[in-house]
Amino acid sequence: MAMEFLHTKLDNGLTIIAESNSSSASMAAGFFVRTGSRDESKELSGVSHFLEHMVFKGTDRRTAIDVNLEFDRMGAEYNACTSEENTVYYGAVLPEFQDPLVELLADLMRPALRMEDFEMERNVILEEIALYEDQPRFRVYEKLMQEHFGQHPLGNSILGTNDSISSLRRDDMHAYLRRRYCPSNVTAVGTGKIDFERLVETLRRTCSSWEPMPADRATPPARPAMCRRTIIDPKLIRTHVGLMSSAPSNQDDSRYAAELLATIVGDDTGSRLFYALIEPAVADEAAMAYDPLDQAGGFLTFVSCDPQKANEAISVVKSELTRFQREGPSMQELESAKNKIAAGATIKGELPMERLRAVGYEWVYLHRHMTLEEHIDRLFAVSGGQVLDLARQYDLTTATMLVLSPTETA
Amino acid sequence: MLAVPEQFFCHKLTNGLTVLAQPMPSVSSAAMSVMTPAGASHDPADQAGAASVMINWFLRGAGGRNTRQLHEALDSLGCQHSEAVHSEHIMFAAAQLGRNLMPALDLYADILRRPSLEDASFEPCRALTVQDLSSLEDEPAQKCTILLRENFYPWPLGRCVYGSQQTLSQMQADQIRAHVEKNVGPVGTILASAGNLDWDKLLARIEDLFGDWPAQSPPAVQAGPAGQKLTYIHKDSAQTHIGLAHPTVPIGHPQYYPARMACTVLSGGMASRLFTEVREKRGLVYHVSARYHTLKDFAGIFTYAGTTPQKAKQTLEVTIEELRRLGRGISEQELNRAKTQLKSALVMQGESTSARASSIASDWHTLGRIRTLDEISRSIDAVSIEQVMEHLHDWPARNFTVLVIGPESLDTRCIGE
Repeated sequence: MAMEFLHTKLDNGLTIIAESNSSSASMAAGFFVRTGSRDESKELSGVSHFLEHMVFKGTDRRTAIDVNLEFDRMGAEYNACTSEENTVYYGAVLPEFQDPLVELLADLMRPALRMEDFEMERNVILEEIALYEDQPRFRVYEKLMQEHFGQHPLGNSILGTNDSISSLRRDDMHAYLRRRYCPSNVTAVGTGKIDFERLVETLRRTCSSWEPMPADRATPPARPAMCRRTIIDPKLIRTHVGLMSSAPSNQDDSRYAAELLATIVGDDTGSRLFYALIEPAVADEAAMAYDPLDQAGGFLTFVSCDPQKANEAISVVKSELTRFQREGPSMQELESAKNKIAAGATIKGELPMERLRAVGYEWVYLHRHMTLEEHIDRLFAVSGGQVLDLARQYDLTTATMLVLSPTETA
Repeated sequence: MLAVPEQFFCHKLTNGLTVLAQPMPSVSSAAMSVMTPAGASHDPADQAGAASVMINWFLRGAGGRNTRQLHEALDSLGCQHSEAVHSEHIMFAAAQLGRNLMPALDLYADILRRPSLEDASFEPCRALTVQDLSSLEDEPAQKCTILLRENFYPWPLGRCVYGSQQTLSQMQADQIRAHVEKNVGPVGTILASAGNLDWDKLLARIEDLFGDWPAQSPPAVQAGPAGQKLTYIHKDSAQTHIGLAHPTVPIGHPQYYPARMACTVLSGGMASRLFTEVREKRGLVYHVSARYHTLKDFAGIFTYAGTTPQKAKQTLEVTIEELRRLGRGISEQELNRAKTQLKSALVMQGESTSARASSIASDWHTLGRIRTLDEISRSIDAVSIEQVMEHLHDWPARNFTVLVIGPESLDTRCIGE
């Protein structure tokens, strides 16, 4: 594989980066906007995600129908996602469609926010809120984040509520767009079989008119609640549990150890939680993930089980976390976790669309590029002692817990 | 359209095992996919859910290793593995670095040929399947799709792979062992690999590992009538989940490509008919889609829409109208967009070793041969509007199977059947 990393900055401050891979069959491009629910005030709850929808409703030069037609005509695979701290727009196409894809995505970053589109899309957002209401796993995640972070901006809801969405005004969204989608807060990223010169050329043409503006973000220290809350919903059949404890931030070099820790403790198969909960069928789902954030981070554990097994499942999770924090990983566990993560990253790295995320987020958080090989090297350099130290430093056993259950658990 | 010509290898061992491979020189991973004809439609009637219990049990120790030793062996190879039960097959998939493909094969030979299947590990496997089944109650959208498929296909081809609480509660370890004995073997099994691999070495290893696997004689599945046409399931959910299915041609049929094209015009992208009319113009839903799904001999278009109860009737009416309107004509532009979309998805899928391994295995099963990406691409290009319209005339949107989950039953008179 012939890989090359290139980057530049337009005069207005828009950063353009690309990791080109001449042996790819496709290319991917994306705009990473450093904004999300944590950057919203209470009155604007859900605006980042609603805006993400509105972006596809067109610009001064394109109607919503035009946008959809253009993407489909290129055969693009494309989408967008909004999290607590990023809104990302991305697409993958055959290399021959690089220019039209990049031009379209770039134009979309300055949406028209037409009133009739705004009102129509409000209905879609309300349907999306209802859709997630029928997914207990998502409900647990949202409530858990809210409990864990409390008044900290990371506790904000991504979707917003029926009320906040119903009362959101188009002009407030527009003001938010101006503030948050300014050049210094956006990174344009390309991967796969990409022509960097043409990428820069297209973006210079389309984005140079963007007005520079400061965009900051409040990163107060998190003060996690570390409490336990139970929500009873008699409509449910099973009990869904979420736990969140503190973890290194995305800017912290110990995130490699954190990635290993989460894999050893809570990968889908072959992990401590797998052997303790899934193998004996105490729960049908038990997994831990490391969620690195901007100047914060979390270890997130999900369990789903029969209501009558909930107490047993929770106490098994707790004792496994305590035991891990006492003993740390075995040599075998550490090696297996390294091999699993490295193989997974390599397999994903073969797809431009997947590689786009890794390259984009690395730049957004750390303003640097890291090759896949370097990522794997850093992972392999982590010792068992470092993983153990990390567990103790962040204290896995102190966590916020959210239980969503049809009946009261003890 | 492809930079590197595709190369395929296939070989059938004397015991019936089919070995397929596609070397992909520019990647470092290698994936494999094993399909064995012991899917849910093969479950004995009184043991529905057998395949799901069985596939769990296969991973509970093999070749003298216990559960933990087996998982440790897979993990130490960095093997990204998954197991799935389909209608016709159970499927084992594993992706790893190319240099670990051979040792991974050794492990899969143990899993398939020498699973421990011990009494002690049977009960948890059964209990997990019971939990999978009851989890569906908390996931109405997923339940809607699964039960619709069950009602649509000739029984038991679309059967819910988790069986029923009744069959699972009575299931015995010995029954499943007998089921494994009868159904899992080289006959009808396809072992496909794609990625960074050497065919000669691969085949030699597979000969060593599987050459003396005794042939089994799995009983054929007798397909009966399909399930009920109209089902309403009460649930106090936030949305009404609407599932519709109507018949179309399976993959081996001459009208297969026109059928795929028609479905892509209907629901292939954000400019497609359903998305435009139901979501973009009317804001009735977040999710609406129609998907083509095929078994070897039967296929359907599965349409799903989720919406809040007060909008459910209108959502159904608009959706049905779009399904019917398709038969009244499509434009040249729509056809061209559908072609580009399908071809581009093909190229992107061609970059993934896992996707390639599973595609070549399923081609072999459904068609008895492997289609090159180039062949598929040319077949897509060759489709004309006339062919799409002829297909929609022969296979119109009617004879619906309908399944609705939600707080209120739905007025389905607009379907008119």
